[in-house]
Amino acid sequence: MPLVDGLNQPVKAGPKEFEGLHLVPVPDEEKPAEALKWLDYYRKERRSLVMAMESCVKCGLCAEHCHTYLGTKDPNNIPAGRADLMRKVYKRYFTVQGKLFGKLVGAEEISMRTLEEWFSYYYQCTECRRCGHVCPFGIDTCEVTMIGRQILYNIGMIPKLHAATDVAILRTGNHMALTPSGIVDTLDFLSDEIEEERGFRIEFPVDKPNSDILYVPSSADFFLNPDTLKGAAEFFEYIGANWTISTRITEAGNFGYLSDQTRVQRELVNRVWEEVARLGVKKVVWGECGHGWRAAKMYIPTMSDYPTRMRVPITHILDEVAAYIKAGKLKLNPKNNFRAQGLPVTLHDPCNYARACGLVENLRVDLYASVTEVREMNPNREKTFCCGGGSGVLFDDPEMYQLRIKFSQKKADMIRATGAKVLCAPCSICKAQFHAMIPEHKLDVKLYGLIDLVGAALDFKGHRQV
Amino acid sequence: MPYIEVLGQKIEVDEDGFIQDPSIWTPELAKELAKMEEVPEMTEDHWKVVNYIRDYYLKHGIAPMIRKLCKDTGFSLKQIYELFPTGPAKGACKIAGLPKPTGCV
Ligand code: SF4
Ligand code: SF4
Ligand code: SF4
Repeated sequence: MPLVDGLNQPVKAGPKEFEGLHLVPVPDEEKPAEALKWLDYYRKERRSLVMAMESCVKCGLCAEHCHTYLGTKDPNNIPAGRADLMRKVYKRYFTVQGKLFGKLVGAEEISMRTLEEWFSYYYQCTECRRCGHVCPFGIDTCEVTMIGRQILYNIGMIPKLHAATDVAILRTGNHMALTPSGIVDTLDFLSDEIEEERGFRIEFPVDKPNSDILYVPSSADFFLNPDTLKGAAEFFEYIGANWTISTRITEAGNFGYLSDQTRVQRELVNRVWEEVARLGVKKVVWGECGHGWRAAKMYIPTMSDYPTRMRVPITHILDEVAAYIKAGKLKLNPKNNFRAQGLPVTLHDPCNYARACGLVENLRVDLYASVTEVREMNPNREKTFCCGGGSGVLFDDPEMYQLRIKFSQKKADMIRATGAKVLCAPCSICKAQFHAMIPEHKLDVKLYGLIDLVGAALDFKGHRQV
Repeated sequence: MPYIEVLGQKIEVDEDGFIQDPSIWTPELAKELAKMEEVPEMTEDHWKVVNYIRDYYLKHGIAPMIRKLCKDTGFSLKQIYELFPTGPAKGACKIAGLPKPTGCV
């Protein structure tokens, strides 16, 4: 879209998406009052919000740590500035000084303009938590963004991309509205590819009852990332796992987490437990997706209202691989890695793994064992910069797309500086963003996930098939 | 809801120009959609890709995996981008009358 009142905004959801979400949007004239009610609700519900609202001293430290500010120089993209868009309203209605002195203390009445600003800037934050990592007060602007987005969702201001994806979640249990027949056909095609590459076939079991492991891949892998699916199959085959993919929860991500952390997010959470019960699963293994792993790890065990006693463990495939490597149970041959092909590889630490899930060292255990040369980015690990597409800001309307290029400038510079020829990005949104941004920044790299590179290094000699 | 005019008919599209009802697709409509996607003329190669996507969608209800699309049509990804400058997902699939892809793409 369009500039709305001079603000960059993604296209908003319309009647078709509202129908799919069974939502009746609040009429514009009532939106400010309704939003205020929700803000009041969330300040009582989430004390981290009150902390963020009350304690910022405007020290400015967060500014240069946010890739969206670095790329745009827009003061509203300084994390403290982004939070101020909500803080000024909070002050006006929920603090004594604000009520008495208004504008003098930076307090402001809520209006439609305020909400349009929220819509613009809460969908320019990629929820990467880099600000939270550096703020001396521990203010996590990501939390403010999440609450801002939730309030906007509640009153019916949702980006079309997020709303349409949410509709797909409710309808199909995945972001891309994959169908069972499409899933099976795609996996069959990948089995053919494996057979061509390796001389033997690896099947992808689908909806197989009595499976020990339920593997939850990202739906985007079925369109964009064939090697991520193949890498996972190669690993499961290698360890002789009794595994399956489910057509009812073919989604490692959770756009609900990025737009509606209530009903939509819970839909995918419940589907996991339903499928655990239906397929008799003993362990759920999660595929490559940054925000999705954060949502899975932190919410699935506690958020579900699905009455089941089968609360089985949920692990990440890259942690699984690391455990096998550490136990000496995987024979990996970096020299034969037919995907990395001996080229230098650099690792993009997905923010959500690094700053919200503690998945940092195991990525390295997996990667260093699988390829011949790794060139670390600077900064990396918990100091990683976002790819610029985080939290699903994968908008393609021209203004927002230009912003994505700016948001990823910092990362592009870091990748280029390594001189690597392979970019390993073990997150689905990162992959989607890089697929588009590699050409935009004229980077000379091939893109893979991490399980892709592990799978390609697995030495199957002596294996039951070879 | 926006409309486009094709052969004197009003066709409902979304803000990005994707047709709202995939079942109303016709080759004539595809030619009009192509013009919006920087494809001034639909050549035999264009039709090969568009018909493949269309058939796949009618059979499986989804867009084909890009790697599969390339393999089955015999075009490299680079060639697909040459044919459809706005890309396989948002260009070719749109001309084939598919809904706009959602999720991490
Ligand atoms: S670093 Fe923390 S205290 Fe300093 S301006 Fe940013 S949010 Fe405020
Ligand atoms: S979470 Fe990331 S994108 Fe959002 S304000 Fe903080 S640093 Fe910027
Ligand atoms: S998309 Fe990837 S890099 Fe960006 S916030 Fe998510 S995990 Fe981080």
